[in-house]
Amino acid sequence: MTDRGGFEGLDSCVHCGFCLQACPTFLATGDESDSPRGRIELMRALETGELAPADPGVALHLDRCLGCRGCEPVCPSGVSYGRGLEAARALLTARRGVPPLVRAALGALTGADVSRVVYALARLVRATGIPSRLAGWGRIRFALGMLAATKPVRNAEFGMRNRSSRVNSAFRTPHSAFTPVTLFRGCVMEGLFSHVHDATIRTLQVNGYAVREVPAQVCCGALHAHAGLRDEARRLARTNVAAFGDDDTPIVVNSAGCGAMLKEYGHLVDVPGDGARFAARVRDVSELLAERGPRPGAPLDVTVAYDPPCHLLHAQRIAEPPERMLRAIPVLRVISMPDAAQCCGSAGLFTLVEPAMSRAVLAPKLASLAEARPQVVATGNPGCLMQLGAGLSAAGVPAAVRHPVELLDESYRAAGYYA
Amino acid sequence: MTGGGEGGRGGRGESLAAALGEIVGARHVRTALPERITYARDGLPTHRRVPGVVVLPGSRDEVVAVVRLLAALGVPFVPRGAGTGLSGGALANDDAVLMVLTRLNRILAIDPRNRIAVVEPGVVNVRLSAAAAPHGLYYSPDPSSQTACTIGGNVAENAGGPHCLKYGVTATHVLGLEVVLADGQVVELGSPGGEPWGPDLVGLFVGSEGNFGIATRIRVRLLPVPRAIRTLLADFSALRTAGEAVSAVIASGIVPAALEMMDQSCINAVEDSVYAAGYPRDAAAVLLVELDGCREEAVAADADTIAGILRAHGARDVLSAADAKQRERLWQGRKKAFGAMGRLSRDLVVQDAVVPRSSLPDVLEAIGRIAAAYGLTVSNVFHAGDGNLHPNISFDGRVPGLKARVDQASGEIMAVCIAAGGTITGEHGIGLDKLRYMPLIFDGDALAAMRAVRLVFDPLERVNPGKVVPVHACREWSGVRSAQWGVRSAADRDRSSNSALRIPHSAFES
Repeated sequence: MTDRGGFEGLDSCVHCGFCLQACPTFLATGDESDSPRGRIELMRALETGELAPADPGVALHLDRCLGCRGCEPVCPSGVSYGRGLEAARALLTARRGVPPLVRAALGALTGADVSRVVYALARLVRATGIPSRLAGWGRIRFALGMLAATKPVRNAEFGMRNRSSRVNSAFRTPHSAFTPVTLFRGCVMEGLFSHVHDATIRTLQVNGYAVREVPAQVCCGALHAHAGLRDEARRLARTNVAAFGDDDTPIVVNSAGCGAMLKEYGHLVDVPGDGARFAARVRDVSELLAERGPRPGAPLDVTVAYDPPCHLLHAQRIAEPPERMLRAIPVLRVISMPDAAQCCGSAGLFTLVEPAMSRAVLAPKLASLAEARPQVVATGNPGCLMQLGAGLSAAGVPAAVRHPVELLDESYRAAGYYA
Repeated sequence: MTGGGEGGRGGRGESLAAALGEIVGARHVRTALPERITYARDGLPTHRRVPGVVVLPGSRDEVVAVVRLLAALGVPFVPRGAGTGLSGGALANDDAVLMVLTRLNRILAIDPRNRIAVVEPGVVNVRLSAAAAPHGLYYSPDPSSQTACTIGGNVAENAGGPHCLKYGVTATHVLGLEVVLADGQVVELGSPGGEPWGPDLVGLFVGSEGNFGIATRIRVRLLPVPRAIRTLLADFSALRTAGEAVSAVIASGIVPAALEMMDQSCINAVEDSVYAAGYPRDAAAVLLVELDGCREEAVAADADTIAGILRAHGARDVLSAADAKQRERLWQGRKKAFGAMGRLSRDLVVQDAVVPRSSLPDVLEAIGRIAAAYGLTVSNVFHAGDGNLHPNISFDGRVPGLKARVDQASGEIMAVCIAAGGTITGEHGIGLDKLRYMPLIFDGDALAAMRAVRLVFDPLERVNPGKVVPVHACREWSGVRSAQWGVRSAADRDRSSNSALRIPHSAFES
């Protein structure tokens, strides 16, 4: 297989159509042009030059792809749809540039200096409680709902009093037995979900991992790659590969989107060996915890709907570990949702730039959540947390959104694992 | 072939699109070249036709309005479901409108006491079974593409599937139809109870490959989910013994629910995929045999008998699925096998022929010889119990001259099947792909009769034109026959002759 920038991954498609029903946008429109098979036709035509990247009919349907990769795990021929999509988007971006909204969002969310200010302001606004009161449908109100969904749930809501955040030495693994890991912090996770990072560090520690910080790390580049900005993504990848050094220490990630991207570095970094070695070290937090059981905590009397992020379930093929985390919490009930495996419509910047399709994809999921009435919707990706949180409050469904690691953390705290 | 029809159609195409947009909403009309290109192929990607306009109606009324508009304008059209067909049947030329029915995906009624469901044509096959499951019922025809294909498409093609061996193909399960004819008239075929009065028009419509109109409501039979199921996997070290075992199983008098065969090349493609089922890679062929029924002991006894027969006929090993999960894996591997062929090479032609079961061993060997002679990879995955073969030829279309060799080999395989007393399709239909074989099995009289039947439904031949009956290729007989039938041109035909189809009853009243 020759390297054709990702397009070669599409060669094995024989047009069987088994992907159609796994595609959230096809389900929303019924239109072949909005299906994986149809988009593969577009991408192939782009590669051969039959269609031009400037053609608005091409851009419309490739832009409307969530990139959820729900088509990949159902494909009998193993088509690398995600890689083909990135190759096609790179062609589109080379031709038309990056749309202003995408550029602005990239700068605000991932720009080294700008984002620090943006996140600080966002946290201030979030603290006022105004976003949660104004959350609703409509572009602005939905965005406010997304921001409100990042707010840490206070322990008191689960009846916990112990606010300490250090792991009690009595419950720790002996120091010599700790497995060292490094934490990938990311942008949105660091800016708006630092409480999830804290919970990650604590729960890992209870399970015998010692978390080391890596200061020189940068954004994973996922949003750039999805926007067709391959060179920028490549630059970020190179920086991260250098920052995390050349050893075997696992790199723990608690954002499914970042994890999926970091695992793709083998295809992205110019020296493929380096990227591949880096990618092999990347582990989702749920994988590491599940390897150790994880250690059971104290009971939490709560009903949880687990919503697997696409970039965990489809892109990284991690299904079981998050459920094992939840099963380590006694009493907690996981209700199974029929359409859980389907995308929530967040998809990075998609919710901002394609709001109509994003809401159409979200709608069926909200409908089944409204019927199932869980107290908590758990999902391991910042975009999904925000999208589901905003959707639930707009639809008036009284469920909190939380990262699974937060629930385990909560359970450990109740168990007295923290001093 | 870039579907440059847009330029050719010019202003007319635009005004047509605008008029269609008034009926269905502009966003459900697709005119841009890239969008039309995504509809240029179905599940048999060696055929490619870029449609002139694509329209996606959202309701029966919209379908009727669109058909009437097209009738008034004299524009041909092609109905399409999910586009998983395997004969190029749902492709439209650039002078035709492609009518995509995926948005008509409502299950209108499930009547568990009478075991009947009424669905729109765009309902995905497997979703009907899922909706019927709470009542202990399911929709029996199970084409391998059932997770994607639509029931409307199943009706058009009279789709089969592994379990049709015992339960019959789609035609057995369709009780009534509401059909929009080419002129926009809505007729109801069949009777409320399913027993036809007069000629069996439902039977005529099912399998008509979109030539007789568009089914907008489909009344189907549901069956109770079998209470006892046994699934056996038998592996063989030679294709011939596997083929002989098939006849032995059938001769036993026990009717399996399904009896499928896969050869080694196919086994390996599946085992390399996410649907890996645990088939033995070193087997020359495996048979997948399912027994089902009402009583656990009876089915178990049948399964033991069949396992014994398989062993006696050379099976190295016979495995019985331990639980529902393993059974599902064994079946998923079989059903996704066609899709897994992309692992062998980038292009694929799947054939569909039927031979008498007893000649399976000889025909399979002949196919192997043809593959070797042409230097091609042929993988076999098929409904052995029905003698319904599916040789898959994998090739790389970029290699000059290879496609022509594949076509020649396909033709030879088909000739072998016909010589063995078989026919050119079991379930995929004629569409475009098999037009060339039609004169091999039907003479001019038979083809003329088929055409005459079609003209009853569609006198101007505007629905799915150019498919199924090779009219233009056989001008000499088609002209003669038309004259004999007293018709100089189809346009002269008295349209009121359709009135016989308009049976007034309220089977579909909602």
